[in-house]
Amino acid sequence: MVELMLPKADRPTKGKTWPKPAGANRLREYHIYRYNPDENANPRIDTYWVDLDQCGPMILDGLLWIKNNVDPTLTLRRSCREGICGSCSMNINGLNTLACTKGMDDSSGPIKIYPLPHMPVVKDLVPDLTTFYAQHRAIEPWLKTTSPTPTKEWTQTVPQRAKLDGLYECILCACCSTSCPSYWWNGERYLGPAALLQAYRWLIDSRDETTSERLDNLEDPFKLYRCHTIMNCAKVCPKGLNPAKAIAEIKKMMVERKAA
Amino acid sequence: MREQIITQKTIADPRSHYGDAKASTRHFITQRLTGVSNIAFLLLLLFVVVRLAGEDRGDMVETIGSAWIGLPLALLLGIVTIHMRNGMRDILEDYFHGRTYRLYMMLNTLFCLIIAVAGIGAILKLVFWG
Repeated sequence: MVELMLPKADRPTKGKTWPKPAGANRLREYHIYRYNPDENANPRIDTYWVDLDQCGPMILDGLLWIKNNVDPTLTLRRSCREGICGSCSMNINGLNTLACTKGMDDSSGPIKIYPLPHMPVVKDLVPDLTTFYAQHRAIEPWLKTTSPTPTKEWTQTVPQRAKLDGLYECILCACCSTSCPSYWWNGERYLGPAALLQAYRWLIDSRDETTSERLDNLEDPFKLYRCHTIMNCAKVCPKGLNPAKAIAEIKKMMVERKAA
Repeated sequence: MREQIITQKTIADPRSHYGDAKASTRHFITQRLTGVSNIAFLLLLLFVVVRLAGEDRGDMVETIGSAWIGLPLALLLGIVTIHMRNGMRDILEDYFHGRTYRLYMMLNTLFCLIIAVAGIGAILKLVFWG
C-alpha cells in the first residue's frame, strides 16, 4: 500500500556527531542511518569522519574503518568485498548499490548511507529480506523437467546457453527490487525485478520443460503486471543487468501464448 | 526483527487472491492495442481540431456530421474510453486494495461509460440527424 510519509516513529532525527580522528590530514564525512530496535527511539543520522590515509578507497572500507576504530556498534552486512555476494547492498547517496564496489571518490561532499529503501530494518544498515527471499523461492528457481532423467547431464547447445547471459549473473543483492516504486507500494504481491529476472532465466532455459506452468504461476495482476517500466531496476543494478527487459520478455511470452 | 512466516500463499496466488488472474494479460493486450490505435485516430482528431479552428457552430456541425469524420471520431471516443478505464485500473490497483479498490473501480467504469455514451451519442446525432 502507498505510504507517502514515514510513520512518526520511523522518521530519522539528527544523531550524534562523532569526533574527528586525531592527527588525520585527509578526512571524509559519513552520514549514516542508525536504528536499534532495543532502544525504543526514532532512527537517527550519525556523522562520522573517516581517515582516508588509514583505509581503502571503497565506501565499504570506510564503513569497516568506522566499525573498527570509532563505533563498534555500527551494524552492516558484508562478506566478499568484491561485488560477488551482494551482502553489502545499501542506499548510498540516494542510489542503491554495493558498498564494496562504490568508490568514495565517485562523489564529493558527505557520503549519505541508508539501508535499502522500503524494507523493514533489523538494525542500522541491515534490512529484513525475508519477503524478498520468499519471492525468489516462489518462482521456483530450479530446473523442472518431465522427461526421464538422462544418464549423463541435461545438455545445452552453445546458443541455448548464451540466452542465459545477462540473467544468471544476478547476485540477489535486492538493489533493483528495493529501488522500484511498484515494489514499494505492493512489495508483498508484486514479485519485484529480481525475482522476475530469475523467473525469465528459468523460462528461457532450454532444459526446463514447465514453461507453461511457470507462465500460469506468473499470470496475475500483481505478480507480474505491477511493472510499469520505470527502469530504476536497470539503473541501479550493480552487475549491469536489465531486469526491466526480462520482465518485458515475460509479458511478450504471455501475449504470444494468448495469441497462439 | 519481525516474526513473519512467508509461505507461497502470502505471496499473490493467482488461483485464490487478488483479482482475475487470467484477465491480466487480456488487460495488458487491450491497453497496448488501444494505445497504438489511439495514435492513428488522434491524427484524425488533430485534423478536425485544426480544420475547425475559428469556425462557427454551423461549420462544426457540418464537419462532424459527415459520416467520414463523425464515425471514426465516435470510434476514437470508444477506444479512448476503454484505454482510459484500463489505465485508471492500473493506477487504482497500485493505490487501493480490497473494498475501496472495488468501489473506485466501479466509479471508474461508470465515469468512462458516461463519457462514452454521451460523447458517441452526440456525434451519432450529428451524423444521422444533423
